[in-house]
Order: sequence, then C-alpha cells, then structure tokens
Amino acid sequence: MRPAHPLTSSERADGGVADRADGRAGRRNAPWLTVLSLAVAAVVVVPVVITVVQALEGGVGPAATALRQSSSLVLLLHTALVAAAATPICGVFGVATAWFVERTRLPFRRMWALLVVAPLMVPLFVTSYAYAALGNSLTGFVGAAGIIAFCYYPIVFLLVAASLRVIDPALEETARSLGVGPWATFRRVVLPQVRPALYGGMLLVGLDALVEFDAFVAFKYQTFSVAVYGQYQLSFSASGAAALSFFSIVMCVVILFVERRLRGDANYTRVSAGARRATLRYGLGRATPAVLAGLAALVAVSLGVPIGMLVYWFSGSTPAALSSASANLQYLWPATLTSVLLGLGSAVVAVLLALPVSLLVVRHKGRLATLVERSVYLSFALPDLVAAVALAYAASRLHLLYGSVALLVLAEAMLFVPFAVVALRSTLGLIEPGLEDSARSLGLGPLRAFWRVTLPLARPGLAAAAVLVFAFALGDLSTAQILLPPSMHTLGTQFWANSSTVAFAAAAPYGAVLIVLALGATWVLMGKFGAVRHLEAR
Amino acid sequence: MSELRCEHLSASYGHRRVLDGLDLVVPGGTLTAVLGASGSGKTTLLRVVMGFAHPERGRVVVGGSVVAEAGRRPLAPEKRGIGYVAQEGALYPHLDVERNVGFGLPRAERTGSPRVLEMLELVGLSDSYRRRRVHELSGGEQRRVALARALAPRPSVVLLDEPFSGLDAALRSETREAVRHALEAEETTAVLVTHDQSEALSMGREVAVLSDGRLVQTDEPSALYRTPVSLSVAEFLGEAVVVAGRAQAGTVACLFGNLTVTGERLEGPVEVLVRPEQIRVSRPAADTVPRLSSPAVSASVAEVRYFGPDTLVRLALRGPTGPTGALVSARVASYEAPAVGDLVELSVLGPVAIFPARSSTTEAARPPELREATA
Repeated sequence: MRPAHPLTSSERADGGVADRADGRAGRRNAPWLTVLSLAVAAVVVVPVVITVVQALEGGVGPAATALRQSSSLVLLLHTALVAAAATPICGVFGVATAWFVERTRLPFRRMWALLVVAPLMVPLFVTSYAYAALGNSLTGFVGAAGIIAFCYYPIVFLLVAASLRVIDPALEETARSLGVGPWATFRRVVLPQVRPALYGGMLLVGLDALVEFDAFVAFKYQTFSVAVYGQYQLSFSASGAAALSFFSIVMCVVILFVERRLRGDANYTRVSAGARRATLRYGLGRATPAVLAGLAALVAVSLGVPIGMLVYWFSGSTPAALSSASANLQYLWPATLTSVLLGLGSAVVAVLLALPVSLLVVRHKGRLATLVERSVYLSFALPDLVAAVALAYAASRLHLLYGSVALLVLAEAMLFVPFAVVALRSTLGLIEPGLEDSARSLGLGPLRAFWRVTLPLARPGLAAAAVLVFAFALGDLSTAQILLPPSMHTLGTQFWANSSTVAFAAAAPYGAVLIVLALGATWVLMGKFGAVRHLEAR
Repeated sequence: MSELRCEHLSASYGHRRVLDGLDLVVPGGTLTAVLGASGSGKTTLLRVVMGFAHPERGRVVVGGSVVAEAGRRPLAPEKRGIGYVAQEGALYPHLDVERNVGFGLPRAERTGSPRVLEMLELVGLSDSYRRRRVHELSGGEQRRVALARALAPRPSVVLLDEPFSGLDAALRSETREAVRHALEAEETTAVLVTHDQSEALSMGREVAVLSDGRLVQTDEPSALYRTPVSLSVAEFLGEAVVVAGRAQAGTVACLFGNLTVTGERLEGPVEVLVRPEQIRVSRPAADTVPRLSSPAVSASVAEVRYFGPDTLVRLALRGPTGPTGALVSARVASYEAPAVGDLVELSVLGPVAIFPARSSTTEAARPPELREATA
C-alpha cells in the first residue's frame, strides 16, 4: 500500500529557475550604461523642455490668443479622434498580416512581408499628396485617419511578427492537445503572448498620429500640429506655437501612461527555454484566395495608389509641364545625394543614441529602464516643426552647430530614436546574457566583451534600426524645412516645393526616387528585423 | 483505459525518413517508455501521434478509433483526446497555476472547479499554489503543473516528452514519483519519450528502444536489460563488457571461465555480454566465499573511479604468465572497492547474454570506455 500522499512537494527552489531569473533581473548594475542612457534621454527631451519654458515665458497673453484663435477644443478633439480611430485599425492590420506571413502557409510569404512593410518606408507626404490629388472625397477625418491606418500598420506588423517568431511552439501544441481549436488557441495563447509587442506597436502609432503633420495638412484636417504650423506661418508666434505644443506634450504623456497601465505586467519572459524549432504553420486551404485578395487590397491602397499617381502625373502631363519638369531635373542628383547622406548620418547617430537605451531596457529591466525608455518616447510629444525650432533656438543660444547640417542630422536622429530602440531591442532580447558573462570569465573587460560578443551578434538589429531611421529621415519634411541650410535641397523639399505649387509632373521624379529608395530600404530591413546573426529566427 | 496502437508508421521530416515502419502497442492504463538517442525519431513519433505531423504510411489508433491514417484526412490535434506534457512544461506565462491547469476544461470549470483542485492535489501541490504565477515555480513544480494540466480534461492517452530533463537528481526522482502516482491514479495510458536509460527502465511497464525510426526491441525493463536483442541495444542500455567466447549447449567459454547463457541459444564463436555490476571482485587471500558461478580470473586494479554508492574499477587481466593486456570494467559497491595496484580475483555473477560474433572482433576484451583511457 502506498502512503496516502507520498509526494507532497518539499522542493527546494531548484537551480533552473533561479539561474534564469538571475540572467535577467538580478544582474550586476552597470553604472556606465545607466549614465549613457540617462544622457541620451536628457538629449532627447531637450526640445520638450525648451518648448515648455518658452510657453511659460511667453506668459498667459499670447498663449490665450493662440488658443482662442485656433479653437483648441476642436483641435484636441480632432487629434484625439484620429489617433483613437487609426491606432486600433493598425493593431488589427498589423496582427493579421503578421499572423498570415509568419504562421500560415501563405503563398509568396517573403514577397508579402516586403510589400506589407513598404508603406511605412515610403515618405508619408508622397502618399498623402497622391491621395489628396485623387480628389476631394478623402479630405478631412476619413483621409487623415485612413492614411495613418494604412501607412503605420507596418510598425505593428514588424513588432508582432518578431514576437510571433520567438513564441515557444510547445505552448500552442499543448493547447491543441488539451482540446482547444486553432482559433481559440490564437485567442487564448498566441494573442496574450504577442500583447506586449502589439501594445508597443500601437503606442508608436498613436504617438506618431499625435504629431503627424504632412498627412493632415494634405487632407486639410485641423489638428494641433497643423495649428502649430499656422502659428508660425501666420503670426511668427513662437510662444503661441509653444502654448499649443503644450497640449500635445500632455496628450503624449497621457498616452504613455495609459499604455503602461494597459500593458501592466504583461512583459512575459520566456519561462521554458525549450528547444528552438520550427513553429506551426497553418494551411489556409479554401481561404487562400480571400486572404490573398485582402493582402492585395491592403497593398494596393497603401502602396499601389502613390506609385500609380506618380506614374499618372508623369504620363498624364502636358508637354509644356513636362518641359518645365525636365528643367527642374537638374536638382535631382544633388538632392538625392543630400538626402541619402542626411539619412545615413541620422541613421548612424540614432543607432548610437539607441544602443545604450535598448541595452538598458533589455538587460536591466526596472524602474530606471522604464523611465529612460519613456523619456525617449517623449520625442513624439512635439510636432517635428516645434522640435526643430526649439533645437535651432538652443543651438543659437549655445553658439553650437547653429546653421549647420550637423544640427539637422542630430534633430532627425533624435526624432526617430524610438524606432531605433524598438528595432534594436527585439534583437538584443534574443541574445543570451550568459554569452557576455562567459566572455567576462575568459578575461575580457565589460566593454571588450560587449564589443566582441554582443555587438557582432546584434549586427542584424543594428542594421534594421539604421535602415528604419534612414527611411524615416528620407521621409522627413518639417525638420528639413527649418534646419536645412538654405542653399541645399533634399528630395523631400523638392517634391514638396513642386507638388504644393501643383507642378505634379516636376514633383514626380523626386517622388519616384524616394519610393525606389524606400523599397530598397524595405528589402534590407526585412532581412534583418528581429534576427540575430547565426541564429536565423524563422 | 484506451490502448494506443501505432501500426507501420512512416513519416519524414523534410526529405529525411524519420520514422520507418514503426509498430508500437501501449496497453490501456500502462506506461511505455520510448528510449532513443537524439535523432532517432522520438519527437517525430510524438508529433505524428499528436497530429502535428502526418504519417506517410501506417496509422495511429487510440482506443479502437483511428485518429491518423496515411492517405486520409487526419483528425485535428484538439479532437484526439491525447494529452501532451512538453519538455520543460510549456506553461502559459500569462496565466496563474489554476488557469493553466484549467486551460483545457470547459469555460465554467476553468477556475475554482473541483477538477482543478483535484488535479493539483494529485500531483502533490497544495491549494496555496493556485494563485502562483508560473515564473515563481521551481522546475519540478512546473512539470507537475504541466502534468496536472494535461490530465485535467481526462485524455485517453498522455504523451510525456523528456519530462524530467534539466532537473537535478533528487528533484528528478521526486518528480518521477509524482508523475507515476498521478498517472496510476488516473489510470491513464502514457508514452514517455526519453534518451535517459535509467529513466526509461524505472518508469516504463514496457520499454521500447527506438533506433533509426523503428523500434528494435520492446520488452519489460528487466528482460530488456538482461537479454537485449543486439549488442548495440545492450551498449545503449548501459555499460557493457564484451568478450569473445565459444558457446556450446547453454554455456559459453570465455576468459571469465564457463558461464551460463540466458536467452537465445547459439553455438560456436560468439560475443559475450557481461554487465560491469555482474563482475565480482574479491581479494585472493580473503576469498572464503564459495564461488557462485565461474572459477576466478586474476587481475590487477588499474584505475578506480568513485561514484558515491558504487565504484567503477578498471582491471588489467592476468594470465598464468603475467598481464594479458586485456582491460575490463567492474562496478562494485564502494565500501568493498579495492585500491589501485591491488591483485584481485574476478568472477561473474548470474547468466550472461551472447550474440553472434561480429565480423572482425579478435580482441579478447573490448570495453569501449577503456580504449581512450589507456590510449
């Protein structure tokens, strides 16, 4: 006879769990990393601080005038509405496309992955002008929310796809063996696992929507950023603009807070270190044509229309327009060169800024890491224009970099640093901290261990971060308009100068080069995002 | 109490044939351990039975109904009633212990239902575990929760994939007992897949040895260990001393003398399997114990490896004229282990298994582990 209960657990907390926990939470503190990260955070919030000070200095008078003139309640409502409408749509598009690409036997998966991400990389002003030129039916809220939804969902796609790749397949297999069907398994197992990635992606989309300018001005939709632009254009009122920006800062902070609450402690760490093996892929069966049609429609709306419009502008132009357009072509090569160099510069600077922050976030989870990460997201709190003006102001006061291209490079890097952090984080998170520890035990100092182990492994993540920033810098307009030395042109400023004067045929070549560069960047990005060298994630 | 039958299963992974005509019958309510080296097809077997991979030939039958058959639409994994305990448990990190265990139950029973509490108790976890998060559990507790979760919906068969890997020795035997107890209490048919010989031999009612995608032998643990079908199975199951011999009428003559043969009857030149723990080491002077089976062979102790309860002794055999050059290993209880350099006598306890002579074996003794030690 067996004792009634022979097996009452009297286990020590066994080594396995404790060791793994040590690998993440209880690591040595890294003073240099902390100092560097705080420094990056401090640099990124400089424009916000300057703007707040300007708003306060300006006093109540100009601020009140600015708020009255621009009927701030409507602006608040408009901005919030666009963000609230576009963000969930991006969530749905992003999760659905990521699921189909990563977890089903969709035909031409690699091609679809490229096409699905490309809309993010194409400058938004190209897409929005293409749509605005289609006609008046899309102006206002529908156009503004639509353009955000259809151009920013790839952010969610990238994050969710990277997260889908690292889920332990045994979680799903176990659910199925417990009698849970595929759809319920998705809802009850997969979705909770990708939730941190989903919220992270939606956060970026929401913040971006707050300060988006190019798309909204094209659709004549009044939001804070558009009103801020008006303040500069009409009244040259820096303090009025600062007062308006104050609202977007508050909204940004509110969104950061809400996302934090939503996410809660949903930062699941992998419990089991189960063997990495092929994930389940579901056959789509009879649904294949419907899914293909849906993806094709998505790509047609977000990518096909801008490309089609460029072709139409070019081919549908009168000979007169074409000849004036060809006269304009002399700027094409220098503008391309300027744009590419600016983009490369911003990419390098942004990656350097993002590296300490993402290392801190991945390796030393905690309050400080969260604080640093959130402060970096504050770069979304200001419309690009306001941030650029604030930086110019700071540079002129400090007699540092003022009027130089370096300031523009720095400004764009600061603007897009959150994206670099996101891309780097998803790679760094896959690298065992133990690898660096063993390098230390082989006699390497912390810096050399990082240089010889982590950095080489993280190369795909560095490349992905750089390519993302490169593409966004190509698509930047407002910052360049403020900080670019007057003698210089970028592809963006040339496109904008021509298309805003309805010289569409002249604008088309610049748009075409921008799109070609964007597609090239997408191609590079998709080979790198969320991957670790020698550890093919799929 | 459903029987699990795999009939002539063949399956491929990519272009490689991983299962090749595998036949396995697990009687209802019993546990069969499938033992195989890595790459032998264990994981593929599990995936085919579960329904995540499909057979190219053969079929899988659970309790009389076919769940997968080559050329026919396979039953979806969730409709097979086959529970699965993954390596390291694969618990859901977003759910607490109670919700993990209740995961496969109907919505109303997922929390606070008697079934969940019953399952926790069955695997030896108290009520206080209900609200714990998964990352707060030790490795052994995670395995227990994973088993409770698999058993909760009353599956007809449970598959256990290396369920004790990564646990330290004490925890391993404790968790093993918990699993055995739970499976017996639920009278569940179970397949345990492992590469660990002692785990397979101690857990299984039957042990099936998997090699190159087919089962080379299925037997009760003791029969399997004593009379393996081939030398490679013998060596896979545990340390082996293999010496040449000549068999005749139920006995075999070899350097240990004349030994009784168990299992297959052969005549002529053979290879003799002696387990190291069968070799009795005694001191010539104090040798008053009557010899149990074979006349003594003398040897000198070349090496001693201490393992705690027992000790592995490497012995250089001596003939009438001095050392013969042959080395054998013996496993003796530590308290009676000799020291290096001692002169001892060897005898073999119990019957031995014999196999047809491998083509070119002329060495007197070839204990594989000693080759590198002496080289």
